[in-house]
Amino acid sequence: MTFRRRRSNRVLAGVAGGIADTLGVRDGYVRAAFLTLLTVWGVGGILYLLAWLLSFDRVADIDVEQVESRRAVGLGMAFGGLLLLMGAIGMWPNTAIVLTAAALSFGVAAITDPSSPGPFAALMSPGVDSVSRTRLLIGGVLLVGGIVTFSLSVGRIFEFGIVFLAVFLTGLGILIAFGPWVRRLLNDLGNERNERIRQEERAEVAAHLHDSVLQTLALIQRSDDPQRMAILARHQESELRDWLFGTAPLDGVDLLSTALKQTASRIEGDFQVPIDVVTVGDHPVDERSKALVAAASEAMVNAAKHSGADRMSLYLEVDDSAIDVIVTDQGAGFDRASVPRHRKGIAESIEARMEKAGGEARIETVAGEGTEVILRMPL
Amino acid sequence: MSISVYLVDDHRLFLSGVRAELSEEFHIVGSGYDVDTAIEQIRGYNPDVVLVDVHMPEGGGIAVVEAVTETNPDVKFLALSVSDSAEDVIAMIRAGARGYVTKTIDPGELSEAIIRVNAGDAVFSPRLAGFVLDAFAGAIPSDDDPELDQLTSREKDVLRLIARGFAYKQVARKLNISIKTVETHVSSVLRKLQLSNRHELARWASKRHIV
Repeated sequence: MTFRRRRSNRVLAGVAGGIADTLGVRDGYVRAAFLTLLTVWGVGGILYLLAWLLSFDRVADIDVEQVESRRAVGLGMAFGGLLLLMGAIGMWPNTAIVLTAAALSFGVAAITDPSSPGPFAALMSPGVDSVSRTRLLIGGVLLVGGIVTFSLSVGRIFEFGIVFLAVFLTGLGILIAFGPWVRRLLNDLGNERNERIRQEERAEVAAHLHDSVLQTLALIQRSDDPQRMAILARHQESELRDWLFGTAPLDGVDLLSTALKQTASRIEGDFQVPIDVVTVGDHPVDERSKALVAAASEAMVNAAKHSGADRMSLYLEVDDSAIDVIVTDQGAGFDRASVPRHRKGIAESIEARMEKAGGEARIETVAGEGTEVILRMPL
Repeated sequence: MSISVYLVDDHRLFLSGVRAELSEEFHIVGSGYDVDTAIEQIRGYNPDVVLVDVHMPEGGGIAVVEAVTETNPDVKFLALSVSDSAEDVIAMIRAGARGYVTKTIDPGELSEAIIRVNAGDAVFSPRLAGFVLDAFAGAIPSDDDPELDQLTSREKDVLRLIARGFAYKQVARKLNISIKTVETHVSSVLRKLQLSNRHELARWASKRHIV
């Protein structure tokens, strides 16, 4: 349960008052409950600190309606049950002390009502209703009973151990003195961490924009070649889009479409030939599809270097049976037989690589019409 | 008489660029950079072809296509966008656009696309062809009208070649068919795209709360 501590009308940190406001009972009873539990191995103190940590910051006190007496009785019974339960599980240090503390604190709480002029005046006044009269009566009996048991058992406390009392008082004193400071320290640490995370995010965005968009804009301003400007802009556009819409790594799995787009984008930049990428379906990048990317990369580089075409296309299609990657240019084309024997690009980088990975490569070219490199990897 | 064209785009810079490129060949009747103005003016001018941007505030290009088609069914739309998002483009086609080209298209190809749309044919850019193949991929036809829910293997062949950047003329030659046949296949795909109840298409659209 979360609640707000009180700002005014409090004894320590406003925790008991806050709980009282939330439950709708008088703060005196909540304080009495804490005091009583304090005599049970200091449980009250621990609960108080826990409630302090769990509570929200203080706000101006709100007017809380007092609960009807039926609910007050219910809460009282619940508290009594809690005490009995602690007794049952052997946490009962000394019946006399606990009962004395309970009788005294609840008694005081009952007869001191902040809303009435004074306990005795209220008792004498003819306007006081019967509920208040009963309350005052019970409070008085409790108080007297408490004082009597206390005087009877005061000797036993010293028997029980002055050392225990001393340690207990010292601990309590330290908590009261340093509790708010510890609490503030914890708060500050949390705020600092949140602020640091925000700063890091901002820095990441700024760094990304600086490394990519601003650099590209600078390059475009210094360039007077429209073709180069267009390629720079295309490259930046696809990169920014990937970054903004997260089409890059998906759940930590790199996708074949992304790998191919990145490769195409790099070759576009290196050779200044636009590459139109169209993908249908997708597949995670694994060892075999890495071979596909490498072979496609070689095919694109070849097309950029030798075809003379002013653009090319990269097509990926994944269906149930196979992955197809096709690099198409509508440039010069070539005659396979006329390629010098020492030029091993096609034979090794494309065909051998695909075969080794369990796929195949087919090259269709017509001189003067263009070249298609068709890569197929069965699934 | 030259084809009358109306332009809709919320980027004024782009608008003026396209206007300059097209004004020699076509009769540019007007242009609008917001949805409401565009709808009103298109209804008034009743142009042959409207070039419309997919992404715009207040409903975007889809709102324009839907509103105008209700009153002026003869106006033909060609969608033009930098958008990569498949669902937006498919939704635009389903709303009634007869084609989709990206803004990086060169002016000559754009002119060709306008002429083709005006003639009642469909214009599939490589990217749109890819989207369509993707949308119909691995399809299990529904019971209502299985023919609408699947592409024939010939239609797929045509779309694949378009996706790889071949012009209709080159597609025709590679498949040994006439250009007219290529156009028929593409128009048939467009019809399926607009009428199909395919689960995938509906899902694409619903992801963006459109249609």
